[in-house]
Amino acid sequence: MPLSEKDFPVEERTLGNGLQIRLLPDRSLPVCTAYSFFRVGSRNERPGITGISHLFEHMMFNGSKKYGPKEFDRRLEAAGGSSNAYTSHDLTAYYEDFASEALPLVLDLESDRMASLIIDDDSLARERDVVKEERRFRTDNDIDGMLDEALGALSYFAHPYRWPVIGWMSDIEAITRQDCESYFRTYYAPSNCTLVLVGDFETAAAMREIERLYGGIAPGGPRPEVPTGEPAQKGERRAEVRYPSQAPSVLAGFRGPPGRDADSLVLDLIEAALSAGEGARLKRALVYEQELCVDAHVYFGWRMDPALFEISLKLNPGVDPARAESSLWAELSRISDEQISERELERAKNLVRNQLLRALSTTNGRAHTIGQMEMMLGSWRAMLDLPDRYAAITAADVQRVARKTFAPHRRNVVTLTPGEVVA
Amino acid sequence: MTAHDLAKAPDLQLPPLQIEKLPSGLTLVAIQKRGLPLFHARLSLPAGACEDPRGKAGLAQFTVDLLRRGTRRRPAQDVDEMIESMGAQLAAEVSTEEAALALTVPVELSERALDALLEVALEPAFEESEVAAARRRTVAALQSDLDDPATVAGRAVVTMGYGPGHPYAHPAQGFRRDVDTFQREDALSFHATRYQQQGALLAVVGEATPAELLEQLKRKLSQWESSWPGRSQRGALQFTALPPSEGMRTVVIHKPDATQAQVRIVAPGLPRSTPRYAEAVVANTALGGGFTSLLVDAIRVDRGLSYSVSTRLHMNRRAGLSVFSSFTKNETLRELVDVALEKMRAYAQTGPSEDALDKARRYLAGLFPLGLESHEALAEQIADAILDGLGLQHIQTYRSRVLAVAPQQARSIAPEISPARDGALLVVVGEADAARRALDGLSPTDTRQLEEFG
Repeated sequence: MPLSEKDFPVEERTLGNGLQIRLLPDRSLPVCTAYSFFRVGSRNERPGITGISHLFEHMMFNGSKKYGPKEFDRRLEAAGGSSNAYTSHDLTAYYEDFASEALPLVLDLESDRMASLIIDDDSLARERDVVKEERRFRTDNDIDGMLDEALGALSYFAHPYRWPVIGWMSDIEAITRQDCESYFRTYYAPSNCTLVLVGDFETAAAMREIERLYGGIAPGGPRPEVPTGEPAQKGERRAEVRYPSQAPSVLAGFRGPPGRDADSLVLDLIEAALSAGEGARLKRALVYEQELCVDAHVYFGWRMDPALFEISLKLNPGVDPARAESSLWAELSRISDEQISERELERAKNLVRNQLLRALSTTNGRAHTIGQMEMMLGSWRAMLDLPDRYAAITAADVQRVARKTFAPHRRNVVTLTPGEVVA
Repeated sequence: MTAHDLAKAPDLQLPPLQIEKLPSGLTLVAIQKRGLPLFHARLSLPAGACEDPRGKAGLAQFTVDLLRRGTRRRPAQDVDEMIESMGAQLAAEVSTEEAALALTVPVELSERALDALLEVALEPAFEESEVAAARRRTVAALQSDLDDPATVAGRAVVTMGYGPGHPYAHPAQGFRRDVDTFQREDALSFHATRYQQQGALLAVVGEATPAELLEQLKRKLSQWESSWPGRSQRGALQFTALPPSEGMRTVVIHKPDATQAQVRIVAPGLPRSTPRYAEAVVANTALGGGFTSLLVDAIRVDRGLSYSVSTRLHMNRRAGLSVFSSFTKNETLRELVDVALEKMRAYAQTGPSEDALDKARRYLAGLFPLGLESHEALAEQIADAILDGLGLQHIQTYRSRVLAVAPQQARSIAPEISPARDGALLVVVGEADAARRALDGLSPTDTRQLEEFG
């Protein structure tokens, strides 16, 4: 059953400067969420300034013309709100959750930093240190982070997805104020942004206020093309990371389609079949039956360009990674060679459908989903059809996509071997 | 643009709901939530980690993990099928005070969801082979967790923060040395004595009216009445006051090759039932909550020493802890600790500034409704308020109580929520030689091995 547009009365508008606006009123609680999605992420970077999208995300909180340093969050929190942001390979999203009476302030804060961000050397130096700490936390001292970074570099030769979103440490250190200013001028323009507002507000009044605050901001110029070329993979690729860990790990990745390709939805179902819930194939086989792993987990997230289907195996201490890998390949062969049963397909569909509904059960979740659909599928309306599109996927579709994706010559494998760090 | 005004109408209207306590001691909560066609059920049982018998740390968690590994009606694989074919994933969690099982399904599957929840909770098989396999899995997972410095720091805070012998003084997952001894009889006995109607709560959130939901619950429970373990007495927990101590002590937990140190500063805190709850959370927010707290400003914004800085009140029913958390590269460990201690000690003397107090009050009040939005959060918040003896008014009046905290109240509670005071414990998880050098002269220091905490 599709989601009904009646339940999601989204008001759409595009201003003359290109800013896309999506408003969804909901008066049930005295709260709102505002998201500003910018079409810029690590895929828009180049070697030498990797990590600038993410570093820049931090710089957006350091002051603009009307609201100086430290003012953004101070004003917002004093009005009953909080903010955060994230950067991915494809986009940067800023959001505020707040008591609905703070809406005028939130729009003023957001439009002010889009119109007149101030980037100074001192704040850049401090923020660079903060980001280096974040990198040490998420990557240098974190096994999942260090394997993920190695897998990206292994899986892509030419595409910007080959470097990590947080960037290489040497690049984080080298990014200049001029790099940031140029990045801001290029990507932080209304024509590169979708503003989503969900919650307790009056639509016409909110739209008028957005037009007043954002309407005068210059649209922004053309943006460079992203070099999306990537040679076909002609054989299995492997890398090893040595680190003093308690147990080995394996992270495997297969290049799949871009998010807009219908096969991405099939891979969502394959992800659910392999790793959602305790009865999922990989958990059942590798964790419960063969007792090779503490955890077996799949991550597949839509991207603008061909995304990675990642499988993470956290091995039991002492288990030979080759043994765990061989069990993993057997499971991937099984889903490629034998058609999935209707019952198992139904289970995967139900899990994915429930996940979507639960994401829509909060104000923030609705705003995020609307924005993500705009970014990845071109329109928020795509979310209305998603349940039907998942429902139409057949067992033959699953087999076809699994065969194509999990062919042995498309494997990228990173192994963590417990041991001393080799400098 | 907006209809609501935080200051004028601060109290929160809960959705329609009914609460009924049965003669058996089981509390039923039925909450109506319209909108998305979902049904959520949550069963809370007085079977939390504080109930772990001495020498059996982790038994509450081990028992919950085993519930879905086979019931008297079906093997583990079929239990998974029963739950996940509905599109649900069973949340099976153990906190300090309770065990909770919860799942969310499409609204038309509410009957099946309740049956599945009750079967798993009340009729586990605890087969010998599953117990042995769960033991191996848990031991492996505990060892694997030692790779995450933040997890190790969290386990150390709980273990050492409460002191030896305290029912809260171990992580819910337990320790390998204890888990290794678990037998089928341990799980059977824990289940028989803790999974009882007395002190349990079953909450549901759905589209039907509270009266209809309550009716459905009673009908369903009557079908499962004979499956509940019989009533039995269990010993009362012994809660001793945390011993007073002077000065600060430091424990360094060695993580080879770490280039960054995890830092915790922990001191005795307040229980959730404290009559000074509102001022405690407001004063804590001004000190180390949100993005503009005193500590975030001093450590992250002004000095760039860390990505993450916070203070948190671990408020359990009968005792609590105040915990400072951050991390920094080895080279700036001492600077971070010095700044944190200096700021927290000063804060204990002065409390928040007027601006900081006002910001903290409005921040907490404004965001509070967001914590009640989803089916899952609504059920959990209401269940906890009832089980903790605080009642619904704890939720309904939260915003007005927080907004009413006066400067004098915040000042007077500041010394009790600041983690930097006599008896504080500094926990550092990192490369031990580097950490000891950095912290030289600060306080008496012990070095411990990772393995003690998993």
